[in-house]
Amino acid sequence: MSPKSQFSGMKDLPKTHLLAPGSAMCAGCGGLEAVREIYDVLGGKTVFVNAAGCMTLMSVYPYTPFRGSWLYTAMASAPAGAQGIRDALDILKSHDRIGEDEDLDVVVLTGDGSAYGMGLSSTSGAIDRDLDFLYVIYDNEGYGNTGQQTSAATPHGARTATATSGIGVAGRKKDLFSILAAHEPAYVATVIGAEPLDLARKVERAKTMSGPRFLIALSPCPTGWGFDPQLSVEIGKLAVKSGAWPLKEYVDGRLVHNRVPKPLVPVEEYLKRQGRFRHLFEPRKDEFTLMDIQAQIDAYWAGVMDHDGA
Amino acid sequence: MYRIRFHGRGGQGMKTASRILGAAFFLEGFEVQDAPRYGAERRGAPIFAFVRADRSPILERGVIPNPDLVMVADDTLVGMPQAGVLQGLNAHAVLAIHSTTPAGEWRQRLNTDARIVILPPLFDLLDAAQRVRVSAVIAGAAACLTGRVGRDTLSQAVRTELADLTNTVIKDNINKALQAYDEMNEFKGIAEPQPRTDTPLPTGWITLGLDPATLAAPAIHAAANSVQVRTGLWRTLRPVFDYSHCNRCNWVCGSFCPDGVVSADENGWPRIDYDHCKGCMVCVAQCPKHAIQGMPEGWAAQQTMPTPPSPDRKEAAP
Ligand SMILES: Cc1ncc(C[n+]2csc(CCOP(=O)(O)OP(=O)(O)O)c2C)c(N)n1
Ligand code: SF4
Ligand code: SF4
Ligand code: SF4
Ligand SMILES: [Mg+2]
Repeated sequence: MSPKSQFSGMKDLPKTHLLAPGSAMCAGCGGLEAVREIYDVLGGKTVFVNAAGCMTLMSVYPYTPFRGSWLYTAMASAPAGAQGIRDALDILKSHDRIGEDEDLDVVVLTGDGSAYGMGLSSTSGAIDRDLDFLYVIYDNEGYGNTGQQTSAATPHGARTATATSGIGVAGRKKDLFSILAAHEPAYVATVIGAEPLDLARKVERAKTMSGPRFLIALSPCPTGWGFDPQLSVEIGKLAVKSGAWPLKEYVDGRLVHNRVPKPLVPVEEYLKRQGRFRHLFEPRKDEFTLMDIQAQIDAYWAGVMDHDGA
Repeated sequence: MYRIRFHGRGGQGMKTASRILGAAFFLEGFEVQDAPRYGAERRGAPIFAFVRADRSPILERGVIPNPDLVMVADDTLVGMPQAGVLQGLNAHAVLAIHSTTPAGEWRQRLNTDARIVILPPLFDLLDAAQRVRVSAVIAGAAACLTGRVGRDTLSQAVRTELADLTNTVIKDNINKALQAYDEMNEFKGIAEPQPRTDTPLPTGWITLGLDPATLAAPAIHAAANSVQVRTGLWRTLRPVFDYSHCNRCNWVCGSFCPDGVVSADENGWPRIDYDHCKGCMVCVAQCPKHAIQGMPEGWAAQQTMPTPPSPDRKEAAP
């Protein structure tokens, strides 16, 4: 990580918070935690473009937790909305209608339903046009706001409102990180609210760049994943320690893993705390599916070792 | 027509309770309407759900302003005007509260003519694993209070509504529902529908309380005005500092609080904005020194909160 970071340790993390409280996210929402930590570093000179999802309820008329503006778009088109705002700001600047100091960073904020699915083509288009924007994806692995239906980000073996029996969703979580990186944008990183230092450094780095930049935040969701809100951070940490959520960056055209968990905590530790995986443990342990999930993770990290030599 | 309202907090299963009771009435041959009130139905926030049941088709719609029976799962909501528990209660109505506080005390505290019935908690409400069963308990008690639903029908309704869960969980919920049903036996049938003539169609379907103009019409270009929404009302447990154990590693509780309501003062002591803390207990779970404790909100609200020690206290390193 860049040696010039203002965040050399946890002690340097913000002591007061910029995002106002009072928004309607569930108690213990891991998505809100990540967005709030990101906002603390990003600052208030931002305009948020938000596609329908849980975070839409942050700004319910007439209240807003943000210090700058907020635009609501349809689920498939937040990056297109960001293009409009970026263009408008650039035109205002070129006509001297606003000064450089009045410029705003354009930030897209959507859930996984938009980012991994409905909005993917408009994101791809925005990268093709080299749009100067930051895209924050809070990934709660389902359509949370409508009751946690399956999305393209739902992992193998999780039950959702639309996969209520058997092993739940049978399939793989879409690898959005690689899809985005394959476009060769300025920056792509995965983060999680439970690792605030890693997150702060990545936001800091993204802030200094221009062009399309992406932060994908795994967002433990007490309501949709079925756990007591107080476990939100513990589960987030376990996602990283078990290797289920690799912390990584695509920067300067290279893939870097920021932390290689050694040894990996067995993924069961992560899964068994969540109601959406309870059927893998009760009434009888589903050894086959659990081994399958573990094998996927092991294979991923074996590939990382070969590639990075880490 | 029976008009029944369920009050609880998001996550306590009031929607399920209304569905169980609705299904039970249906099985007994009634026409039924059941619905939760959608909106800020987030975990911890006050919410309600309702059931209408009649022998003839139900034409009435919307929330119930004039209930015959009000079931309250969480007694901390009774005194909270925003929760609207007491709305539309008159001498005809029955107010059933899931509470350890006796009926007499509630009668003194509340300015209501409604008949008050107490359903003693059948298990520890603070234990998260137990909380899911609140819906079955509340539905079971309500079924008995109407006197129109038999025990077998109740069991069948629980089974239908919880069909997604494992057999063990369903059985356990049926047992709890029946236990609550039996608990209410001495009051069986006291909730009765108002005679039709007594219930003219309400003129205002939804009565919204009036907020002061500064609240109801804030400038929409105001930054960060969500502070006016007091999410502290969601809380059932309050995180309380024990500063004698705190080592001022405020970046821990300060960074992990999802809502950003823990900040550090100039000497590094953490403080909580209780107007907005939702009581998720993440800070309690993450504090390495166990210097934060979760206290029941009702109790904590009566206490003076500890203040940070003077800045020059030596033993705690910043
Ligand atoms: C085109 C379209 N389809 C469906 C909806 C309904 N809808 C609103 S929010 C939402 C879920 C969005 O999921 P995600 O993007 O993951 O965000 P989350 O709710 O999990 O925060 C859906 C399906 C919509 N608003 N627009
Ligand atoms: S449903 Fe999940 S993501 Fe949505 S507000 Fe609640 S905890 Fe957060
Ligand atoms: S985490 Fe615990 S010990 Fe550290 S500042 Fe907060 S309350 Fe004090
Ligand atoms: S309980 Fe703790 S972590 Fe949760 S909202 Fe309150 S202060 Fe924040
Ligand atoms: Mg989602």
